[in-house]
Amino acid sequence: MSDSSYISRKQELPLKGENTSLFLQVIISIAVFIFAITLSGVLSIDSMIDNWNKSILGSLTVQIIPTNDTDKEKSRAETLAYQEKAVDFLKSVNGVIKVTPLSDDQLTELLSPWLGDEVNITDLPTPRLIDVKISPDANIDFSQLAKDLAVASPQASLDNHKLWLNKLIAFADGLNLIASTVLLLVAGITSGAIFYTTQMSLGLHHNIIEILHIIGAKDTYVAQQYAKRMAFLGFMGGVIGLFFAIPSIFFIGNLALAIEGGIISDAGLNFADWSIILALPLFSMLISMLTAYYTVKKTLKKML
Amino acid sequence: MAENNNIIEMNNVGIRYDQGPEILSDIKLALPQGSFHFLTGQSGAGKTSLLSLMYLAQKPSRGQISVFNHNLNFTNREQLASLRRRIGVVFQDFRLIDHLSAFDNVALPLRVCGMDEHEIRKRVTELLTWVELDSHMQDKTSTLSGGEKQRVAIARAVINRPDLLLADEPTGNVDNIIAGKLMKLFVELNKLGTTVVIATHSDKIINDFAYPRLHLQNRGLHIYYPSDTSVLGGLYV
Repeated sequence: MSDSSYISRKQELPLKGENTSLFLQVIISIAVFIFAITLSGVLSIDSMIDNWNKSILGSLTVQIIPTNDTDKEKSRAETLAYQEKAVDFLKSVNGVIKVTPLSDDQLTELLSPWLGDEVNITDLPTPRLIDVKISPDANIDFSQLAKDLAVASPQASLDNHKLWLNKLIAFADGLNLIASTVLLLVAGITSGAIFYTTQMSLGLHHNIIEILHIIGAKDTYVAQQYAKRMAFLGFMGGVIGLFFAIPSIFFIGNLALAIEGGIISDAGLNFADWSIILALPLFSMLISMLTAYYTVKKTLKKML
Repeated sequence: MAENNNIIEMNNVGIRYDQGPEILSDIKLALPQGSFHFLTGQSGAGKTSLLSLMYLAQKPSRGQISVFNHNLNFTNREQLASLRRRIGVVFQDFRLIDHLSAFDNVALPLRVCGMDEHEIRKRVTELLTWVELDSHMQDKTSTLSGGEKQRVAIARAVINRPDLLLADEPTGNVDNIIAGKLMKLFVELNKLGTTVVIATHSDKIINDFAYPRLHLQNRGLHIYYPSDTSVLGGLYV
């Protein structure tokens, strides 16, 4: 028979028919599912912290504590005078773009969730607030500014928003750490499963591997066949895991939005975040491939 | 061991399995390039063990082996693989890969060397035709008869035109006509420079071909030359 072009090449190691293939694919699918959900959480928290930072980076709030006088009118007049001094001082500071003292109506609106709409704040010793916008590239020493402000207007205090956010950021960082640990554990468990199934498979195909070695195959030749197979299982497992993870991410996102909390609504996934999540099958393919490759290389050194 | 014309050299080689007694003791052997030897001995004398040392499937329990002038004590895994590519082996139990076709089994040594697939097809088809297996190229080896498997195993061993050919009972499962043809193939390869060692029990083959005989007896190795009927010297160095 002179024409042998019909002959198709088969892999020497029958890895396709192995019982462990389905098991591994399920493990990888579950791992990628958990990985995707956790990763979306980590990325959302990161974007939330980023949004918080952005929102506070360009603004300050100055609070004018009302003077302690039994005469309400006199106290209000003194407080407004301190506010005026503070405004004048702030306008003179380099890097300050805009200084806006909040009006009575604006203060009433701010307090209405707690005091109701019917309260006249002029009857109450409420602090006055000044919203200060600063240039993003301004290099302001906030500690010195607070001291100078206190001199210019003794009833004024500076809030650069960092203080109260620091606790939230610390909490978010904690969540991030836990999530990152979960990601590492998931990747580790998946690699472990691949490691042990590959070792089992090497034992199962010991005879074929011995033949391959005797005819001169290097360890790399065997390792490449395993790497190829595991890359396929890793990718397909990744696609399946992601297929279930994406609707789940949207579902969790909608639940978070339904809370209507200003802080949580800052969380979200941008294009880059989605690109990372959608690339997970490639990541699982790479992990599977490399784990199998190095497991084979390491095990063969002991086998023959 | 100094560099010389010997394909294989063994010095004081012993082999044992686990903590058992030595199967082979104090083997001294030198196979010159282009030589042809039969390996004989009773069942259990250690022929397969000696061959496995020659095709680098195991290391000796003691002593020194040099193959293609490489001292195995100082040869790493990568180098071992390269040395094995220069050795063709025919196993008594064939050791074919059952789920592969005859074609793929014979193509294996070429593929592990990374040869171009077009060249592989040409060479394998030619050789399988020569051993009269052209109609079975696509058949899985598990479906072939003993004789056909043996021919596939021989084709796999010689496809790479090895420098050293080791065969364990290569004609044990074929009829006399095919056996004669296969022996002719080994002789032709030998004429082209391949060093050949054939383990056999067949007196007919040994008598028909006038080559020296390595005989394993009492854990030692002895040499008989074709013209002699007695052991010569005990060791062949």
